[in-house]
Amino acid sequence: MEFYTQSGVLLTPERLKKTEDFLHKMGLRYEGGADHTVQLLSDYGEILGNGCLCGNILKYIAIDERLQGEGAALTLVSELVSEAYRRGITKLFLFTKAANEMLFRGVGFYTLAATRDVCFMENSRTGLSRWLETIPRFGGTVGAIVMNCNPFTLGHRYLIETASAQADRLFVFVVSEDRSRFSFADRFAMVKLGTEGMENVTVLPSGEYMISQATFPTYFIKDVGSVERIHAELDLTLFALKIAPVLNITKRFVGTEPYCAVTRAYNEVMKEILPANGIEVSEIERLGGISASRVREAIDSGDGAELCRLVPATTLNYLKERQLL
Amino acid sequence: MPPKYSSIRKWEEFFVMEIKKTGVAGTMESSDIIVRIEPKDTEGVELTLESAVMQQYGKQIEKVIRETLGELGITRAYVNAVDKGALDCTVAARTSAAAYRAAESTAYVWKNGGVK
Repeated sequence: MEFYTQSGVLLTPERLKKTEDFLHKMGLRYEGGADHTVQLLSDYGEILGNGCLCGNILKYIAIDERLQGEGAALTLVSELVSEAYRRGITKLFLFTKAANEMLFRGVGFYTLAATRDVCFMENSRTGLSRWLETIPRFGGTVGAIVMNCNPFTLGHRYLIETASAQADRLFVFVVSEDRSRFSFADRFAMVKLGTEGMENVTVLPSGEYMISQATFPTYFIKDVGSVERIHAELDLTLFALKIAPVLNITKRFVGTEPYCAVTRAYNEVMKEILPANGIEVSEIERLGGISASRVREAIDSGDGAELCRLVPATTLNYLKERQLL
Repeated sequence: MPPKYSSIRKWEEFFVMEIKKTGVAGTMESSDIIVRIEPKDTEGVELTLESAVMQQYGKQIEKVIRETLGELGITRAYVNAVDKGALDCTVAARTSAAAYRAAESTAYVWKNGGVK
């Protein structure tokens, strides 16, 4: 079947609607965020294939079955990758159904982690190992904790103190994704300041390979309720198989989560996947009534007394200095 | 005062190309190759090759890429290549184009009719 390629931005509402309909037909859901779109069209303008570039992630990739096996996928992905390179984006990621793994292998993508449903790929075979090389290695019992710290509270401090007492070395990975109220730079600085003097604690950015919510592949999973679970499985499989063994991590710490359903679901999946791969999960009872969302509320309502009750002096000083209050 | 040994050594021997950023050249179309070169702190060229004709020509493609980089004096780089059946001359051309871009260099030396 003949097709021609069209490349650009989804501008008109009409085109957007057509694209949404096509993706819906293919079992995907369009949720916006496309910086650039490549489409394969029939002579009559019917959409036969679609793929989008969202930041450094390739998304919404689908091809009509009438075109499958004609190198159409190659044309589509090649055009997307070229566009990314033209924009100076060279580190690319994608999520795909496990069935499409070989297709993307052929265009230079390598699997970072795969679960039953989903495959997470990067356009480099050495990206992960190069990142791991930058992290120092420790012996003994090595633990890890991944936190957003938006901002750093007394609760976070208590969690890190408790965890560090149960390990010879504790990695604190601060979520790098800049999707929170406080920027990564601010959150990282507050954790650094708040853990100063804790000899066996190493604070690091979580990087691109741990909990990057922005890359959440909700779009191609029909049952929305299962989405969090699939993402959590992928994230934790990557941690258990590719990250923890290299850094000698044998313990993962996590605080109990009474408020956020997504985090709670994530923690539940953690308890299934990590122990199965020889990593102990230690859930630490969180300090009563302290949460980062309360801190943000206190800041918004200008409640200084409440704020002092929730965050350590290091955080308070930092927020004041940077005029973030 | 002229440099000490300049008259007896070819200028290429002084030529060491430093990879400063990621450079890309080529496409994923049939008969082409896309080469991506990234900076590396340590000595050595680390090459990842994916090819439609890996079984038959994988070794030859790798040889051409390594030789081309050697001629340019590149000793530290991560190289990622996805080949779709490119001829040797294409492999060499794409590799050197990616290298010049990665080194932010425009001092390209046109070979004499393509013959060494």
